Amino acid sequence: MTISTPEGTGQDAVPEVSLALEEQAPTRRRLADSQPTTPRERFLDNLYYLRGRGALEISGVYALIVFCFVIASTVNSTGFPFLNSNNLSGVLSQNIPVLAILAIGAGVLMIAGEFDLSIGAVIGLCGVVFIRTANNTNWQVAFLVTIAVGMAVMLVNGLIVVTTRIPSFIATLGMSFFWTGASIYLNGTTPATFFPGVRSDTMVDLMAGNYGYFRSQLVWLLLIGVATWFLLHRHKSGNKFFAVGGNPAAAAAVSIKPTVVRLQAFAFLGLMVGIASSLYVARTSGMQPGTTESYTLLAIAAAVVGGCSLTGGRGSITGMIVGAALILTIENGLVLGNAPGFYVQLFLGLAIVIAAVFNKFMEGKAT
Amino acid sequence: MTTLTNEATGPSTSVAEPLLRLDGVTKNYGPNTVLKDVSFDIGTGEVVGLLGDNGAGKSTLVKIMSGVVSMTSGRYFWGGEELSRVSRPETERLGVETIFQDSALVPTMSITRNIFAGREVTNRLGFLKMREMDAITTEILDSVVSIEGIKSAKQLVGSLSGGQAQAVAIARAVHFKRSLLILDEPTSALAVRATEALLNYLVALKNEGVSSVLVTHNLHHAYKVCDRHIVMNHGRKILDIRREDTTVEELTAAVVEGSEGVKRYRHGKPLA
Repeated sequence: MTISTPEGTGQDAVPEVSLALEEQAPTRRRLADSQPTTPRERFLDNLYYLRGRGALEISGVYALIVFCFVIASTVNSTGFPFLNSNNLSGVLSQNIPVLAILAIGAGVLMIAGEFDLSIGAVIGLCGVVFIRTANNTNWQVAFLVTIAVGMAVMLVNGLIVVTTRIPSFIATLGMSFFWTGASIYLNGTTPATFFPGVRSDTMVDLMAGNYGYFRSQLVWLLLIGVATWFLLHRHKSGNKFFAVGGNPAAAAAVSIKPTVVRLQAFAFLGLMVGIASSLYVARTSGMQPGTTESYTLLAIAAAVVGGCSLTGGRGSITGMIVGAALILTIENGLVLGNAPGFYVQLFLGLAIVIAAVFNKFMEGKAT
Repeated sequence: MTTLTNEATGPSTSVAEPLLRLDGVTKNYGPNTVLKDVSFDIGTGEVVGLLGDNGAGKSTLVKIMSGVVSMTSGRYFWGGEELSRVSRPETERLGVETIFQDSALVPTMSITRNIFAGREVTNRLGFLKMREMDAITTEILDSVVSIEGIKSAKQLVGSLSGGQAQAVAIARAVHFKRSLLILDEPTSALAVRATEALLNYLVALKNEGVSSVLVTHNLHHAYKVCDRHIVMNHGRKILDIRREDTTVEELTAAVVEGSEGVKRYRHGKPLA
């Protein structure tokens, strides 16, 4: 290592420290000389440094799986109707967006070094809030109220975690039961349903519309995905989540407040849960409290499959979306292939673990 | 290469108002008192060595000076004016940069993102100018600290060796410092030649009017570059002495034996 003298100070003006070394350091290769200059070199360089960051490898795996399914569906369109419009709009594009939006929320929180086990319970609460508010006002107001409730609920979780410093695992596990109880208290044990006419055509078109090969949820996912990608990976606010999750002490040393950033991550998860629950009830048109718990671990699994680390500081929006898509596409493939019910669970579980191990392996290759 | 003759150059240390003055600083962690009534000045363009054995309170003092840790009691003056609240944003505004012992880097972020974390180059909407930051990082790594083995500013800090990571921490501090550079054991992971270069850099900084505080276990390094030495022992300042008034032997005695060691010397000479 050489350290240059500050500008304007000649060699002779500066006293030299000698630690009894023999001669001058040899002139070394400048880093700047080896940097890419043409757009193509720059692209390849960027691609090289995407290795092991989570998204690249799993996207490749996903592309391969979709490719196989497309081949199978083309060869045998009745036996394996993967490309059938009913499958695309009825299963894939209505399930993937909700899980992917939840995975984005869960994943950003994981990047900031925390996680939340009450996601499923809060979906139930938010769904009930959406339906009951829409019944009393209209769906636009209900949408805004649901988002506000989602964010408020997650902020409560976050405040418990950051003020008591108990692990978010146990704090949000406890709050999971609390929020399920709250939705039953609010709604009773019978399912919440829309009053006739409340679920208007406009609302259905926007939030659950079937457009043949895709559903409008897919557009929501695209918009949210692009917006959050830019905010997380190309905006200064995104850097804070990575810094706090990767090394809170280092973040604090550069004036980033870990507590504030963690609370922001919880609120962001609340925003995502609010949107996802609205999309969910717009399609199902009902919500039975206590039936959405499985989304918690699915969302976390999707984030982990997509390259998020449970210890924080690592993950990408692309990875989270692909992780959600991968889980649901494999499940879809198993169902289409007429796998018996327990096979679906068995292979899905295996696929999640293999994907996580694969990511861990690629993480070690990161430079 | 010439040997050190730094008494000849650099601004005098007897400036009217010191750059930084700590007055009666005490720090408790729960029932443990790690700093007891510590006071000292750091002059403009002065290189001060902060010495002491493990557990003497050096690192806590560094964290208080850099605004990362608040003091239990005591006063913090900057250019003669007392700061009512010492925080990292405040010291950042004053141009204080610290190289922490543990480097304080985020292993899961790239070199560029580490250097600019919290101080990103952005457009008006806060979106990152990644290419510009990568170019600046490459430039700092080349011109200020260059070390074998770093291939790109996009590399994750977690994939670097200890010395390379320390070079990144040094590059960041050197890039953002304006008035005071604090180095907490900066040479612990550096090779001999890199250490020499860093120490030379501190001496050169004096001519820019930038002060530095060097925390080190290596008394020979400290003695060569520092204008003044402060020795800490069990949370107290036991010696605050100009370079010309002391010797490596006295400093060693102070670090190893505490106040007993100091008592055996007068003006750097052992008492009969």
